[in-house]
Amino acid sequence: MGHLEDGRRVENLPAEDHGLVAPLVVLDGVGVRIGSTQILRDVNLEINAGEVVGLFGSNGAGKTTALRLIATLIRPAEGSGTVLGADLTSPDRYDVRRRIGMIGHVPGIFPELTLAENLRYAARVAGVPTDRVETVLAAVGLAGAADRPAGASSHGMQRRAEFARELMIDRSLLLLDEPHSALDRDAVDLVEGLIERKAAEGGAVVVVSHDRDRINKIAHRTVELAGGTLS
Amino acid sequence: MLWITIPFGTIALLLVPLAIGTDAVLLREIGPGMYWVIVMLFGVLVSVGRSSMETLPQQDASALLGLDPAAGFVGRTVSSAILLMIFESVVGVVAVGLYDISIIGPLWLLATMLIVAIGLALLGTLTGAIVNSSSAGTALVPLLVAPLSVPLLLGATQTYDGLLGGYGIVSWVLLMVAVVLVVAIIGVVSSRPLQET
Amino acid sequence: MTVQTRSRRWPWVVMGLSLAVAFTLSMVSPADSVQGDLVRIMYVHVPAAWLAYTAFFVTFVGSLAYLLTKNLRWDRVAAASAEIGVYFTGLALALGMIWAKPTWGVWWTWDARLTLTFIMFFVYLGYLALRRTTDDPIARASRAAVLGVLGAIQIPIVHFSVVWWRTLHQPPSLIRPDGPAIQDPLMLTALIVGVVAFTIVYAALMVKRIELIHLEERRLAVERSIERPVAGEAVTVPQLGGAL
Repeated sequence: MGHLEDGRRVENLPAEDHGLVAPLVVLDGVGVRIGSTQILRDVNLEINAGEVVGLFGSNGAGKTTALRLIATLIRPAEGSGTVLGADLTSPDRYDVRRRIGMIGHVPGIFPELTLAENLRYAARVAGVPTDRVETVLAAVGLAGAADRPAGASSHGMQRRAEFARELMIDRSLLLLDEPHSALDRDAVDLVEGLIERKAAEGGAVVVVSHDRDRINKIAHRTVELAGGTLS
Repeated sequence: MLWITIPFGTIALLLVPLAIGTDAVLLREIGPGMYWVIVMLFGVLVSVGRSSMETLPQQDASALLGLDPAAGFVGRTVSSAILLMIFESVVGVVAVGLYDISIIGPLWLLATMLIVAIGLALLGTLTGAIVNSSSAGTALVPLLVAPLSVPLLLGATQTYDGLLGGYGIVSWVLLMVAVVLVVAIIGVVSSRPLQET
Repeated sequence: MTVQTRSRRWPWVVMGLSLAVAFTLSMVSPADSVQGDLVRIMYVHVPAAWLAYTAFFVTFVGSLAYLLTKNLRWDRVAAASAEIGVYFTGLALALGMIWAKPTWGVWWTWDARLTLTFIMFFVYLGYLALRRTTDDPIARASRAAVLGVLGAIQIPIVHFSVVWWRTLHQPPSLIRPDGPAIQDPLMLTALIVGVVAFTIVYAALMVKRIELIHLEERRLAVERSIERPVAGEAVTVPQLGGAL
């Protein structure tokens, strides 16, 4: 997955060719339980390269769980699925995680490190040159706050730092959980910018949001999560 | 975490003579043993602190960077071991002072401290990964680590006794190294299965 | 809806018979020349201790087998054996202490085997505590299996360390923690029969306990197959109405 037979990378294909390749995400009758509580039931979803999918649902419907499932961080209790070609229950999923980016509700940032150190850590682990850190921090407007401890930075700043991380690392699939929240008026266009860029590159984006108007403008399609299942 | 565990361990060293008597001969005899017991019981809290400090979003972010679970295990163990060495050193100085413990064979003692630090760090990190996200959480870790740390405790105390009494200590050192190797192997091999769930 | 199953009766019958035979022999065998009737505690203590180690070994085998095959059947074996084992371990310790007090005047001797058994008791308890606090069955099986393997591999190391420690520090008195050597053939027979009987008891208890775990899992599976609302359906549209 990721390469066609002639060696071209999927992500580098022109948009009109995306339909020729296998879907990036396939979920077939997937159910998810946390402990003994059923969160998702009979979820069917297919996401193709270059698609932007909006995911709506009321509070507690299981949207974050659905995103973590697509991120291969949760095993399905029922059904089957593949993400970027890796079966959700097989060890292959470890190999594709590096190509999945997720910006969650709560920032996955280490508060003891500075914003720049967080990004350098991410770059090192992901195998990306660390000299990109300054560039992406400037791109999200955090150049002046790079050396501030992340724990002393606002939620919005931490959010921006996560966007910087996703700009820095090459991902085939981007999962965004309420990306507009906590971002101020200036930064909120970051979301659209990142999404459009990812889709143009041939990746796919899933956006969870309550802001239906904004999402309807940029999403190719939307799905609704209710009763534990998607429609 | 060290700002809490070091004073806590030091106070424990202070409480013992208050409870059992301050006779210098008695204290010199039980001092080394008391020191190692406190390292075992309180030291494990240091590695518990390390493991419990990672929130789920942080774990998710690391996982999606492609961080191999085994590498995460080794990294957490190394950082715990360093903190434990600091804990052992500071509390050790206090123990030498309060209990009038003689320093014999300093290089062997240092080696013992290092091996115990690594062993406890391994046990703490591995059991931390085992109880991860269960409802008892980190409270269960000391209970799981304590019985398994007995060979480290015996190895450390018998090494010191051997240095004092002039008898063989190599087998005790090798025993402690065996513990370290066994737990390290189990920890690395089980890091993926443990993260899977 | 209830799950009907024919519960096996034969384990209880077999257990009862073995225990009856063992009990009879232990009562019929002669009293010890030194300890008198106190020696009869041995006929329960020794088999219980033997089973404590056997059960622990079975938990280890079950844990390892689960990690290799991912078949939950092995997890059931490991869990059942640990539960039964913890009781036998506790029994062995308690009886050992009850026997020690009138014999030597102390409740506890720091005998290598006794100390090791006590340590094992805590490893068991930790294992069971871990199982109790993990809800998801797959997570519980994996984590318990890793702990089972870790505990079991550590036990020989703990054993060596404790034995070496005792060898270096022989107690000053002439207490032989092994107890008197059993020379009378009837006493020896009673002891061996006791060990066999308790092993049969262990096997019977394993059969019943695994049956119970299996039933519990079937009940859960039936419950899950009934369409229950997902967690998200508990959240409804807010209706302030006259609340403010």
